Amino acid sequence: MTDENDRLLPIANVWRMMKKILPPNAKISKEAKETMQECASEFICFVTGEASDRCHKENRKTVNGDDICWALSSLGFDNYSDIMLTYLHRLREIHTQRAKQQN
Amino acid sequence: MRQPGAYSNLLSGGKMGPHSLPLARIKKIMKKSGEDVKMISGEAPIVFSKACELFIEELTKRAWAMTLQRKTRTMHKEDVAAAVMETDIFDFLVGLVSHTPNPSATLES
Repeated sequence: MTDENDRLLPIANVWRMMKKILPPNAKISKEAKETMQECASEFICFVTGEASDRCHKENRKTVNGDDICWALSSLGFDNYSDIMLTYLHRLREIHTQRAKQQN
Repeated sequence: MRQPGAYSNLLSGGKMGPHSLPLARIKKIMKKSGEDVKMISGEAPIVFSKACELFIEELTKRAWAMTLQRKTRTMHKEDVAAAVMETDIFDFLVGLVSHTPNPSATLES
């Protein structure tokens, strides 16, 4: 069970995201939720691997948000990549604003 | 390294909303993806939290379409597998959905 805690996203969180898409009377088997959990973890590993390869080629040690966005695009998730780049840009803007306020 | 909490606080309650997935868990999974992955910026798990949401939503939508084709309203593992098979960008999951052991049942060799 400890291994599951390390390598899988919490099933309750996964289920909550699935529910947003599904009609109220939809039923999901436990196996389907578990499969979705496994797929989500595999997605993270797959994209991270691609991002990490890029870092390695560029002699960088730290995988950052830009690397994730690049990897998403490289692996065919172009629509995600566009959304994530906007999200990342906004995230950095907020961080900069907060840093200025603290100074 | 900045704590993920610093970023979480920046985003929660704002337009971007709180994170739907635990950042520490995402980071653990990222580290398990390969020995090369040693250092991860604070923003990377946050980006993944959103990206995973998009991924789960898309796979769920496609799997549900398979469920409806079977004229039922209960999604099964096979519907998720069928959605993976028919979507090119989900090719990396083919091995997983074909061979995922059922944790609820006896393990097969």
